[in-house]
Amino acid sequence: MALAGGWLHAQTNAAAMSTSHAPTIITSERADFDLAERHAVYRSNVRVDDPQMKLTCEEMTADLPQSGGQINHLVALTNVVMDSVDEKGQTKHATSDKAIYDYNVVNGVTNETVTLTGNAKVKDGPNWMTGEPITFNLVNHAIHTMHAENESMIIYQETTSALANTNAPAAKTNLPAGAADLPVTKTNFPPGTIQNIDKNTTQSGTTTQ
Amino acid sequence: MKKMLNKAGVILSAVVALGFSAARAQPATTTGHANDFSSVEYFKPPHQMLMASRLSGMEAQPQGQLLLIKQLKLETFDTNGVPGLIVKAPNCVYDVVHGVANSPGHVRLETADGSSHVEGDGFLWRQTDHFLTISNNVQTVIEPGPKKKTGL
Repeated sequence: MALAGGWLHAQTNAAAMSTSHAPTIITSERADFDLAERHAVYRSNVRVDDPQMKLTCEEMTADLPQSGGQINHLVALTNVVMDSVDEKGQTKHATSDKAIYDYNVVNGVTNETVTLTGNAKVKDGPNWMTGEPITFNLVNHAIHTMHAENESMIIYQETTSALANTNAPAAKTNLPAGAADLPVTKTNFPPGTIQNIDKNTTQSGTTTQ
Repeated sequence: MKKMLNKAGVILSAVVALGFSAARAQPATTTGHANDFSSVEYFKPPHQMLMASRLSGMEAQPQGQLLLIKQLKLETFDTNGVPGLIVKAPNCVYDVVHGVANSPGHVRLETADGSSHVEGDGFLWRQTDHFLTISNNVQTVIEPGPKKKTGL
Protein backbone atom coordinates (compact mmCIF):
# COMPACT_ATOMS: atom_id res chain seq x y z
CA MET A 1 0.00 0.00 0.00
CA ALA A 2 3.80 2.24 -0.12
CA LEU A 3 1.14 1.59 -0.86
CA ALA A 4 3.54 6.28 -2.27
CA GLY A 5 6.93 6.11 -0.58
CA GLY A 6 7.37 3.73 2.39
CA TRP A 7 4.03 2.49 1.65
CA LEU A 8 4.74 3.90 -1.68
CA HIS A 9 7.84 1.89 -1.65
CA ALA A 10 5.75 -1.16 -0.95
CA GLN A 11 3.70 -0.24 -3.90
CA THR A 12 6.70 0.30 -6.04
CA ASN A 13 8.18 -3.01 -4.98
CA ALA A 14 4.94 -4.67 -5.77
CA ALA A 15 4.97 -2.99 -9.10
CA ALA A 16 8.49 -4.14 -9.69
CA MET A 17 7.50 -7.71 -8.98
CA SER A 18 4.57 -7.51 -11.26
CA THR A 19 4.81 -8.42 -14.87
CA SER A 20 2.50 -5.52 -15.48
CA HIS A 21 4.00 -2.16 -16.26
CA ALA A 22 1.02 -0.29 -14.97
CA PRO A 23 1.91 2.67 -12.80
CA THR A 24 1.14 3.13 -9.14
CA ILE A 25 -1.50 5.77 -8.70
CA ILE A 26 -2.39 7.52 -5.46
CA THR A 27 -5.48 9.62 -5.40
CA SER A 28 -7.12 11.65 -2.70
CA GLU A 29 -9.35 14.64 -2.40
CA ARG A 30 -6.65 16.69 -0.75
CA ALA A 31 -2.99 16.51 0.13
CA ASP A 32 -0.68 18.52 2.33
CA PHE A 33 3.06 18.51 1.86
CA ASP A 34 5.16 19.89 4.69
CA LEU A 35 8.42 20.13 2.87
CA ALA A 36 10.28 21.61 5.82
CA GLU A 37 9.38 18.72 8.09
CA ARG A 38 9.42 16.25 5.23
CA HIS A 39 5.91 15.09 5.87
CA ALA A 40 3.05 14.42 3.49
CA VAL A 41 -0.59 13.79 4.29
CA TYR A 42 -3.16 12.54 1.82
CA ARG A 43 -6.70 13.18 3.02
CA SER A 44 -10.22 12.02 2.18
CA ASN A 45 -10.95 9.02 0.04
CA VAL A 46 -7.34 8.02 -0.28
CA ARG A 47 -6.80 5.27 -2.78
CA VAL A 48 -3.65 3.51 -3.85
CA ASP A 49 -3.85 1.54 -7.07
CA ASP A 50 -0.93 -0.68 -7.77
CA PRO A 51 -0.68 -3.69 -10.07
CA GLN A 52 -0.48 -5.96 -7.05
CA MET A 53 -2.09 -4.01 -4.27
CA LYS A 54 -5.07 -1.80 -3.75
CA LEU A 55 -5.50 0.23 -0.62
CA THR A 56 -8.14 2.64 0.50
CA CYS A 57 -8.36 4.70 3.66
CA GLU A 58 -9.40 8.10 4.84
CA GLU A 59 -5.96 9.46 5.57
CA MET A 60 -2.44 8.44 4.72
CA THR A 61 0.68 10.07 6.05
CA ALA A 62 4.23 9.66 4.88
CA ASP A 63 7.52 10.64 6.42
CA LEU A 64 9.70 11.81 3.60
CA PRO A 65 13.34 10.73 3.83
CA GLN A 66 16.42 12.69 3.05
CA SER A 67 17.34 13.09 -0.56
CA GLY A 68 18.33 9.91 -2.28
CA GLY A 69 16.52 7.76 0.23
CA GLN A 70 13.22 6.01 0.14
CA ILE A 71 10.08 6.70 2.05
CA ASN A 72 10.37 4.41 5.01
CA HIS A 73 7.32 5.10 7.13
CA LEU A 74 3.70 5.45 6.13
CA VAL A 75 0.53 5.35 8.14
CA ALA A 76 -2.91 4.69 6.72
CA LEU A 77 -5.77 5.61 9.02
CA THR A 78 -9.50 4.97 9.27
CA ASN A 79 -11.37 2.35 7.33
CA VAL A 80 -8.22 0.83 5.94
CA VAL A 81 -8.92 -1.78 3.29
CA MET A 82 -6.08 -3.52 1.53
CA ASP A 83 -6.26 -6.09 -1.23
CA SER A 84 -3.15 -7.70 -2.55
CA VAL A 85 -2.09 -10.52 -4.80
CA ASP A 86 1.13 -12.39 -4.11
CA GLU A 87 3.49 -13.88 -6.67
CA LYS A 88 1.43 -17.08 -6.65
CA GLY A 89 -1.68 -15.20 -7.52
CA GLN A 90 -3.26 -15.73 -4.10
CA THR A 91 -5.38 -12.87 -2.91
CA LYS A 92 -5.34 -11.32 0.52
CA HIS A 93 -7.99 -8.96 1.80
CA ALA A 94 -7.24 -6.99 4.93
CA THR A 95 -9.18 -4.45 6.93
CA SER A 96 -8.19 -2.46 9.98
CA ASP A 97 -8.39 0.91 11.61
CA LYS A 98 -4.73 1.57 11.06
CA ALA A 99 -1.94 0.25 8.88
CA ILE A 100 1.70 1.15 9.30
CA TYR A 101 4.29 0.55 6.65
CA ASP A 102 7.94 0.42 7.69
CA TYR A 103 10.98 -0.06 5.56
CA ASN A 104 14.57 -0.24 6.69
CA VAL A 105 17.80 -1.98 5.91
CA VAL A 106 19.90 -3.20 8.82
CA ASN A 107 23.28 -4.81 8.17
CA GLY A 108 22.30 -5.37 4.59
CA VAL A 109 19.04 -7.06 5.53
CA THR A 110 15.88 -5.47 4.22
CA ASN A 111 12.93 -5.27 6.56
CA GLU A 112 9.67 -4.29 5.03
CA THR A 113 6.42 -4.75 6.89
CA VAL A 114 2.85 -3.59 7.05
CA THR A 115 1.33 -3.77 10.53
CA LEU A 116 -2.42 -3.73 10.97
CA THR A 117 -4.02 -2.68 14.24
CA GLY A 118 -7.50 -1.82 15.36
CA ASN A 119 -10.04 -4.47 14.40
CA ALA A 120 -7.45 -6.01 12.14
CA LYS A 121 -8.73 -8.79 9.98
CA VAL A 122 -7.11 -10.61 7.10
CA LYS A 123 -8.68 -12.97 4.62
CA ASP A 124 -5.95 -15.17 3.19
CA GLY A 125 -7.47 -17.51 0.65
CA PRO A 126 -10.26 -19.39 2.43
CA ASN A 127 -9.00 -18.44 5.89
CA TRP A 128 -9.90 -15.47 8.02
CA MET A 129 -7.43 -14.22 10.57
CA THR A 130 -7.86 -11.71 13.35
CA GLY A 131 -5.22 -10.45 15.74
CA GLU A 132 -3.63 -7.45 17.34
CA PRO A 133 -1.50 -6.65 15.56
CA ILE A 134 -1.26 -8.54 12.32
CA THR A 135 1.95 -8.01 10.45
CA PHE A 136 2.63 -8.59 6.79
CA ASN A 137 6.24 -9.28 6.02
CA LEU A 138 6.60 -7.99 2.50
CA VAL A 139 10.01 -9.59 2.10
CA ASN A 140 9.00 -13.20 2.64
CA HIS A 141 5.24 -12.69 2.28
CA ALA A 142 4.56 -14.13 5.72
CA ILE A 143 1.66 -13.02 7.88
CA HIS A 144 2.10 -13.21 11.63
CA THR A 145 1.39 -11.55 14.91
CA MET A 146 3.95 -9.93 17.14
CA HIS A 147 4.29 -9.30 20.85
CA ALA A 148 3.26 -12.76 21.97
CA GLU A 149 2.27 -11.60 25.44
CA ASN A 150 -0.47 -9.49 23.99
CA GLU A 151 -1.37 -11.28 20.86
CA SER A 152 -4.72 -12.75 20.21
CA MET A 153 -4.77 -14.51 16.92
CA ILE A 154 -7.62 -16.53 15.57
CA ILE A 155 -7.57 -18.34 12.28
CA TYR A 156 -10.70 -19.93 11.02
CA GLN A 157 -11.71 -21.33 7.73
CA GLU A 158 -14.50 -19.96 5.74
CA THR A 159 -17.43 -22.35 5.53
CA THR A 160 -19.56 -22.63 2.48
CA SER A 161 -23.29 -22.95 2.58
CA ALA A 162 -23.04 -26.31 0.84
CA LEU A 163 -20.92 -27.80 3.61
CA ALA A 164 -22.87 -26.20 6.38
CA ASN A 165 -26.02 -28.07 5.44
CA THR A 166 -24.57 -31.54 5.21
CA ASN A 167 -24.43 -34.29 7.82
CA ALA A 168 -21.04 -34.86 9.32
CA PRO A 169 -19.31 -38.00 8.01
CA ALA A 170 -18.90 -40.99 10.31
CA ALA A 171 -15.81 -40.80 12.46
CA LYS A 172 -13.03 -43.09 11.39
CA THR A 173 -12.06 -45.81 13.85
CA ASN A 174 -9.68 -48.71 13.92
CA LEU A 175 -12.43 -51.06 14.97
CA PRO A 176 -13.25 -53.91 12.62
CA ALA A 177 -16.40 -53.66 10.61
CA GLY A 178 -19.40 -54.27 12.81
CA ALA A 179 -17.45 -53.82 16.02
CA ALA A 180 -19.46 -50.80 16.89
CA ASP A 181 -22.50 -53.00 17.08
CA LEU A 182 -20.97 -55.33 19.67
CA PRO A 183 -22.64 -55.32 23.08
CA VAL A 184 -20.85 -53.44 25.78
CA THR A 185 -19.00 -55.76 28.12
CA LYS A 186 -20.04 -55.33 31.70
CA THR A 187 -17.36 -55.37 34.41
CA ASN A 188 -17.30 -54.91 38.13
CA PHE A 189 -14.64 -52.24 37.94
CA PRO A 190 -15.66 -48.73 38.86
CA PRO A 191 -15.66 -46.18 36.06
CA GLY A 192 -12.23 -45.00 34.99
CA THR A 193 -10.42 -48.11 36.25
CA ILE A 194 -8.20 -50.06 33.91
CA GLN A 195 -7.72 -53.70 34.72
CA ASN A 196 -4.11 -54.82 35.46
CA ILE A 197 -2.86 -51.26 35.23
CA ASP A 198 0.09 -52.10 37.46
CA LYS A 199 1.46 -54.64 35.00
CA ASN A 200 3.27 -54.01 31.74
CA THR A 201 3.15 -56.59 29.04
CA THR A 202 6.17 -56.99 26.84
CA GLN A 203 6.14 -58.03 23.23
CA SER A 204 7.47 -61.47 24.19
CA GLY A 205 4.40 -61.98 26.28
CA THR A 206 6.17 -61.88 29.63
CA THR A 207 4.74 -59.72 32.28
CA THR A 208 6.83 -57.40 34.36
CA GLN A 209 5.95 -55.73 37.56
CA MET B 1 8.01 11.09 -4.32
CA LYS B 2 9.99 12.57 -1.50
CA LYS B 3 12.55 14.01 -3.76
CA MET B 4 9.90 15.40 -5.95
CA LEU B 5 8.02 16.88 -3.08
CA ASN B 6 11.14 18.30 -1.60
CA LYS B 7 11.93 19.85 -4.87
CA ALA B 8 8.40 21.07 -5.18
CA GLY B 9 8.99 23.33 -2.25
CA VAL B 10 12.13 24.66 -3.74
CA ILE B 11 10.39 25.03 -7.02
CA LEU B 12 7.40 26.86 -5.76
CA SER B 13 9.56 29.02 -3.63
CA ALA B 14 11.68 29.83 -6.61
CA VAL B 15 8.62 30.41 -8.70
CA VAL B 16 7.23 33.05 -6.52
CA ALA B 17 10.57 34.60 -5.78
CA LEU B 18 11.65 34.66 -9.37
CA GLY B 19 8.25 35.71 -10.57
CA PHE B 20 8.28 38.60 -8.22
CA SER B 21 11.77 39.55 -9.25
CA ALA B 22 10.84 39.36 -12.87
CA ALA B 23 7.87 41.59 -12.37
CA ARG B 24 9.79 44.05 -10.30
CA ALA B 25 12.43 44.18 -12.98
CA GLN B 26 9.97 45.89 -15.25
CA PRO B 27 10.44 49.64 -15.70
CA ALA B 28 8.54 51.64 -13.14
CA THR B 29 7.04 53.78 -15.85
CA THR B 30 5.13 50.83 -17.23
CA THR B 31 2.29 48.91 -15.68
CA GLY B 32 4.71 46.21 -14.60
CA HIS B 33 3.16 43.87 -17.08
CA ALA B 34 5.53 41.34 -18.64
CA ASN B 35 4.88 39.00 -21.54
CA ASP B 36 6.73 35.83 -22.38
CA PHE B 37 9.06 36.44 -19.57
CA SER B 38 11.66 34.14 -18.15
CA SER B 39 13.98 34.36 -15.23
CA VAL B 40 16.95 32.23 -14.38
CA GLU B 41 18.32 31.51 -10.95
CA TYR B 42 21.85 30.23 -10.50
CA PHE B 43 23.34 28.09 -7.78
CA LYS B 44 25.36 29.66 -5.06
CA PRO B 45 29.15 29.28 -5.20
CA PRO B 46 30.93 27.17 -6.11
CA HIS B 47 28.28 26.37 -8.71
CA GLN B 48 27.36 29.95 -9.44
CA MET B 49 27.81 29.39 -13.16
CA LEU B 50 25.18 26.68 -13.28
CA MET B 51 21.49 27.24 -13.72
CA ALA B 52 19.44 26.11 -10.75
CA SER B 53 16.04 26.94 -12.12
CA ARG B 54 14.33 28.68 -14.97
CA LEU B 55 10.97 30.32 -14.54
CA SER B 56 8.94 31.27 -17.52
CA GLY B 57 5.44 32.45 -18.12
CA MET B 58 3.20 33.94 -20.69
CA GLU B 59 2.30 36.87 -18.52
CA ALA B 60 3.13 38.40 -15.16
CA GLN B 61 1.29 41.36 -13.79
CA PRO B 62 1.54 43.03 -10.38
CA GLN B 63 -1.69 44.04 -8.70
CA GLY B 64 -0.97 45.74 -5.45
CA GLN B 65 0.82 43.26 -3.28
CA LEU B 66 -0.23 40.45 -5.58
CA LEU B 67 1.56 39.14 -8.59
CA LEU B 68 -0.55 37.45 -11.22
CA ILE B 69 1.25 34.86 -13.31
CA LYS B 70 -0.22 33.04 -16.29
CA GLN B 71 1.05 29.87 -17.92
CA LEU B 72 3.63 29.36 -15.28
CA LYS B 73 6.41 26.93 -16.00
CA LEU B 74 9.31 26.31 -13.70
CA GLU B 75 12.18 23.98 -14.47
CA THR B 76 14.81 22.93 -11.98
CA PHE B 77 18.27 21.51 -12.55
CA ASP B 78 20.83 19.85 -10.37
CA THR B 79 24.45 20.83 -10.13
CA ASN B 80 25.28 18.46 -12.96
CA GLY B 81 22.91 20.29 -15.24
CA VAL B 82 20.44 17.44 -15.23
CA PRO B 83 16.81 18.58 -15.32
CA GLY B 84 14.89 17.84 -12.16
CA LEU B 85 11.30 18.93 -11.85
CA ILE B 86 8.87 20.83 -13.97
CA VAL B 87 5.99 22.70 -12.40
CA LYS B 88 3.16 23.99 -14.50
CA ALA B 89 0.16 26.06 -13.49
CA PRO B 90 -2.11 27.94 -15.87
CA ASN B 91 -2.64 30.63 -13.28
CA CYS B 92 -0.99 31.62 -10.04
CA VAL B 93 -1.47 34.49 -7.63
CA TYR B 94 1.37 35.34 -5.31
CA ASP B 95 0.94 37.47 -2.25
CA VAL B 96 4.25 39.23 -2.06
CA VAL B 97 3.77 40.49 1.49
CA HIS B 98 2.74 37.23 3.07
CA GLY B 99 4.72 34.93 0.86
CA VAL B 100 1.70 32.91 -0.15
CA ALA B 101 0.91 31.65 -3.62
CA ASN B 102 -2.39 30.13 -4.58
CA SER B 103 -4.62 29.28 -7.44
CA PRO B 104 -8.01 27.63 -7.89
CA GLY B 105 -6.70 26.15 -11.08
CA HIS B 106 -4.69 23.14 -11.98
CA VAL B 107 -1.16 22.47 -10.82
CA ARG B 108 1.15 19.78 -12.01
CA LEU B 109 4.57 18.77 -10.77
CA GLU B 110 6.47 16.25 -12.80
CA THR B 111 9.91 14.81 -13.00
CA ALA B 112 11.86 15.92 -16.00
CA ASP B 113 11.99 12.38 -17.33
CA GLY B 114 8.22 12.14 -17.06
CA SER B 115 8.35 9.09 -14.83
CA SER B 116 6.35 10.54 -11.96
CA HIS B 117 4.03 13.41 -11.37
CA VAL B 118 1.64 14.95 -8.89
CA GLU B 119 -1.27 17.03 -9.99
CA GLY B 120 -4.47 18.46 -8.65
CA ASP B 121 -6.85 21.36 -8.72
CA GLY B 122 -6.39 24.29 -6.44
CA PHE B 123 -3.22 24.84 -4.47
CA LEU B 124 -1.81 26.96 -1.72
CA TRP B 125 1.86 27.45 -1.11
CA ARG B 126 3.22 29.05 2.03
CA GLN B 127 6.76 30.06 1.43
CA THR B 128 7.46 30.80 5.09
CA ASP B 129 7.18 27.18 6.19
CA HIS B 130 7.41 25.48 2.82
CA PHE B 131 3.93 24.06 3.07
CA LEU B 132 1.99 23.05 -0.01
CA THR B 133 -1.66 22.10 -0.06
CA ILE B 134 -3.39 20.70 -3.09
CA SER B 135 -7.05 21.00 -2.30
CA ASN B 136 -8.86 18.88 -4.86
CA ASN B 137 -8.47 15.83 -7.03
CA VAL B 138 -4.94 15.02 -5.99
CA GLN B 139 -3.30 12.35 -8.06
CA THR B 140 0.20 10.99 -7.79
CA VAL B 141 1.40 8.71 -10.56
CA ILE B 142 4.55 6.64 -10.28
CA GLU B 143 5.66 4.71 -13.31
CA PRO B 144 7.32 1.34 -12.70
CA GLY B 145 10.88 0.58 -13.58
CA PRO B 146 14.21 2.29 -13.03
CA LYS B 147 12.74 5.67 -13.72
CA LYS B 148 10.93 5.32 -10.45
CA LYS B 149 14.05 6.24 -8.53
CA THR B 150 12.87 9.76 -8.27
CA GLY B 151 11.96 9.58 -4.64
CA LEU B 152 8.36 10.22 -5.49
